Amino acid sequence: MKFWKVLLAFFSLIYISIIFIFALAWINNLKLANEWKTIYNFKPDSQAKITPEAQNVLWKQKIQALQPKGVYIMVDSAENKYYLKKDGETIREGLVSTGSGVILVDPSGKRSWVFDTPKGEFFVKTKIQNPYWVKPDWAFIEDGEPIPKNPEDRVEGGVLGDYALGFGNGYFLHGTLYTRLLGRNVTHGCVRFADKDLEVIYKMAKIGTKIYIY
Amino acid sequence: MFKKKSDAKNKKALHLSFSLMIFLTMIVSFGLLSGQTPRSETRMASPVKKVTSHKVRKMVAPATTAPDKTQQKNQAKKPSENKPQSNAQPKLAINQQILKENKFLEEEYTLAKNPQYYFVINLKDKKTELRARGMVLKSWIARQIKYAGKPVPLKVTALVQKSALNPPKRKLIKPGESEVMPTPAPSEKDEKGKTKSKKSAPSSASPDSDEFQLEALEITDMPTTYELILDNGLKISVRSKTSGKQKLHQAAESFLWYVWLPVKNFLINRKNPETRMIIYFDNPREAQGLYWAFIDGIKGIIWLP
Repeated sequence: MKFWKVLLAFFSLIYISIIFIFALAWINNLKLANEWKTIYNFKPDSQAKITPEAQNVLWKQKIQALQPKGVYIMVDSAENKYYLKKDGETIREGLVSTGSGVILVDPSGKRSWVFDTPKGEFFVKTKIQNPYWVKPDWAFIEDGEPIPKNPEDRVEGGVLGDYALGFGNGYFLHGTLYTRLLGRNVTHGCVRFADKDLEVIYKMAKIGTKIYIY
Repeated sequence: MFKKKSDAKNKKALHLSFSLMIFLTMIVSFGLLSGQTPRSETRMASPVKKVTSHKVRKMVAPATTAPDKTQQKNQAKKPSENKPQSNAQPKLAINQQILKENKFLEEEYTLAKNPQYYFVINLKDKKTELRARGMVLKSWIARQIKYAGKPVPLKVTALVQKSALNPPKRKLIKPGESEVMPTPAPSEKDEKGKTKSKKSAPSSASPDSDEFQLEALEITDMPTTYELILDNGLKISVRSKTSGKQKLHQAAESFLWYVWLPVKNFLINRKNPETRMIIYFDNPREAQGLYWAFIDGIKGIIWLP
């Protein structure tokens, strides 16, 4: 009987100790959670000539000054959507096709291409009407065709739509024949638009117009 | 009679041992906890003590500068004179709010200066934003954001690693086996009788794009449950509402969050508590979108307004 009592007491104590440690761990946890608020206690700059309020306004103005003015284009590569914006307001939006993300490896194994649409801030570098596509090497490799030696054999017309806006490294915003695939990731890195959308963009965008791809 | 006496003795001994053990556990536990407190206190107190700006100094002075004896007496005698101090508290709080925002804006400015886009996780609004040049490109509102452990400083941080159980895999296309494309939709020019392209689509193509299987990496291929590891040591777990199969996994994760993590931070990582965050989304596509947008090395700020 005495043994059982001692055993019971022993286990009770262990139980109480565990509960107690849990309780203290939780107090500690809450304390740490509270620190998330208090850690941001900053001291004002003693050498600053302006008040924190004025500094706040100044920072906001500085950041706002970095934002694009006038017309700019935003491309959401995840949803395959574009937004044509003017001074922060969306004036037109629609579907696009962006990079498929697949990898093509040269049969020799020396070269490979990842068909991703680049992400980041770009600007319109070239504007072309009735563009021709100068097929790069990967286009022939992908089709299993020999790479032509004559540069003229690389030129293909009509596949890029009526307009193209280049934003560097051979990437373009252009039209497409495959309008049913708008909204999907199918391209080799360029951004394909519907003809009507592209026409509006071409007319509104100038050389230097910002493009944000994310 | 004799038995009763021994029972009473046993009971007393039991009571004594119980109370002694509880007392000991309390001492040991408080001893463990006391190792934690000074650090948090200094963190909380030091910024107020070091206040130097003219405006803030005026407001904080009654509370922080060591008052002389007469002042102390006056304060003790006339509690009504402490009113300016109580008014100073909300002012100080407002000022702190502005200072905090200033720090955030300062950090954001360093990011906005660069052409790369960046993220901002607002813990108060449960909002994750993708920004470029200070403007919001895209935002995701979480159902819940939980955070625990050592707080992360209000500084620019970078994504070091994305880890998922089933990470998306890029598809490899073999030369000559170009993907099957659907037939081009007839355009206005085609209708007028002009040929628009030399390229002809394969005849085997499906006319319906919904049924068309693409060899591509799309948002739907992204994981809905994954971890983001930042360079400041913060581990962010992103979760979304999932099927019944994963409920057991969620229960286990809740146990780890509410039981194991506090105990681990209390007993094992007391000096350097582990920082964890969980972002819950209602829609799995939002979690997938976040995975898509958070490219390796992306910089950003986590802040609690």
